[in-house]
Amino acid sequence: MTLKTTWYEADSRFIPGHYQPATLIDLALSRDIDSHRLLRGTGLFHEDILAGQTRLSPQQFFGLISNSRRLLDADDSSFLFGQRLLPGHYGPASHALQHAQNLHQALDTLVQQQALLSPLVTPRLVLDDKHAWFYWLDSCGAGEQWRFLLEASMTSLVAMSRALSGQRLPWECSFSHAEPRYVEQYWVHLGEHTQFKRPLDLMRIPREYLALAWPGASATAGQVARQEAQGQIDQLGFASSFVDCLYRYLQTHVRQAPSLEQAAQAFAMSPATLKRKLQKHDTGFQQQVDRVRKHVALYLYQIKGFSNEEVAEYLSFNDPANFRRSFKRWTGSTPNLIRQLFTSN
Amino acid sequence: MFSVLKPHRWKLGLLLLAANAGLLLHLACGELKSVSEWVWLDIVGEGGSALLALVWLGLVLKSRPAGRVTNYLALGLSGIFFSWWIDSLDEFIRLPDSITWDHWLESGPMPVGMILLTIGIYHWHREQLAISAQMEKREKLFREHRLFDKLTPLGGADYLKRQLTASLEESRQQQQPLSLLALDIDNFTAINQTFGHAEGDAVLQALSHLLLLNLRRQDLLCRLAGDRFVVLLPNTGESQARLLALELQQAVQGLAHKTRQHGERVHLAASTAVVMAVDEAPEALLKRLNLALARAKQPLAKTA
Repeated sequence: MTLKTTWYEADSRFIPGHYQPATLIDLALSRDIDSHRLLRGTGLFHEDILAGQTRLSPQQFFGLISNSRRLLDADDSSFLFGQRLLPGHYGPASHALQHAQNLHQALDTLVQQQALLSPLVTPRLVLDDKHAWFYWLDSCGAGEQWRFLLEASMTSLVAMSRALSGQRLPWECSFSHAEPRYVEQYWVHLGEHTQFKRPLDLMRIPREYLALAWPGASATAGQVARQEAQGQIDQLGFASSFVDCLYRYLQTHVRQAPSLEQAAQAFAMSPATLKRKLQKHDTGFQQQVDRVRKHVALYLYQIKGFSNEEVAEYLSFNDPANFRRSFKRWTGSTPNLIRQLFTSN
Repeated sequence: MFSVLKPHRWKLGLLLLAANAGLLLHLACGELKSVSEWVWLDIVGEGGSALLALVWLGLVLKSRPAGRVTNYLALGLSGIFFSWWIDSLDEFIRLPDSITWDHWLESGPMPVGMILLTIGIYHWHREQLAISAQMEKREKLFREHRLFDKLTPLGGADYLKRQLTASLEESRQQQQPLSLLALDIDNFTAINQTFGHAEGDAVLQALSHLLLLNLRRQDLLCRLAGDRFVVLLPNTGESQARLLALELQQAVQGLAHKTRQHGERVHLAASTAVVMAVDEAPEALLKRLNLALARAKQPLAKTA
């Protein structure tokens, strides 16, 4: 199998300063925050961003987010940021979103052009007969900024699909973290039925909304924009982050449960290098393996309707009890409980 | 920072001059003590007090608009600083016993400063009462500036929860009903999209003033999140709360907000929901209120 050997890492400088970072900077400036204090410690200068020449690494963007959170000091910062994020002003990829003919096309565009549209948070789309499931993954090791990014990302999708479809879509959001003190922000920006302490950072919507035609879309303009955006991705040389590439590799080979050595070989690097790269992204190999197995297990339960034994067998566990133990370690809950949690959604 | 201190440049200049003059006078008449004679405890105590008085002066001048009350406070603190300053000088400079004016310099400005400061604080108190009267319907008994909303001149969700806890307790004790009212602007995202987020912010600020005008004295208005406001209605049953909700809805519809850029009229409409508190926790009550609001907005789903 051939692997894409190019990807971006936490220190790759490729996010144009006038794309997503500018959205956050403008929000902060509109709240009378000093641009010098906002960019302190990030190695960035406002003049350079205004000139359109600056490229940020994910790490620098995290620094900017951290500064903004501290200076804005308000519970709604992430949600306001999210409302301004999509479709955005990120060249052809944004045009492609603007001219999406329906939600399905918009979601596909978001997934395919993730490096341009949402470089720090990777969206993934799964469909079953009733629902579209859209979940979000940490692509660069966001650490403390993860919750901010997650709130912003989900808000961006809810706000964009409302604006472009011309109606409020019945998105349901669930988060893996506990209910925060400022839960009313979730109610107002994401809906009153937002749930917490769930196994995944996930959104879902009934399937019929996927194909509903959106007004104001131009099929031709949309197609050309998608081609142009693909050209931009080709020019960048990568479409996803290193962590995402590893995720995809582990997902493809989940039944064989590859070792660190095997994975390193597939990525043409030494095990030490792979370890170091993961460390740079605030994660480890076992953590990644567990994450993929958890996601696959949940997928099999929810979408395929597998039983405990079938899932255990699929993931090559010899012993169902052993599987239950592992599952509890991944999710903090037993398979039966998780399934209940899902159906009560 | 310096623009804030500008109206006070004469006062500060004079204080600097006086402090310098005191220093020169001491140097001219006395002799320097050697380091071995320094009493560190006194230096830290008296010098530190002088320094703190200067910090207080800076904070007062920086945080208050110029005016009569500020002048009293500044003069009082200046006098206190000057006294402590002279006091700490004699830790370093020994004056001959024949000189007595240093006692006057040291002890004279202190009582004068104290009196001026007291007058200042008294007037500050009067001023605060006046401001509190203006804060009616936005603040009740308890102030915590960290809970202020960053955009509108209202309390945020945390302030609301705090007040709600207290009000629930009070209504239980007095056997009086307590109602909550939520108001949410219909299609607010369209305003942000059409006129920009800055205009959306301006609409929220205008609305907060409008809603305040339409409330009773005892009501408390807070901004929950985004374009959602919540009013705490003490001693109010559900039917009366519904009436108030209707009035607020009509007020929002009647507001002819003009955009800042082109003076275009923005048409506004709001959805409201009302709940009366039963025996429940503040969080549960707020949740119930928001679910009621979601139900109220449902028929509007096409436009909201």
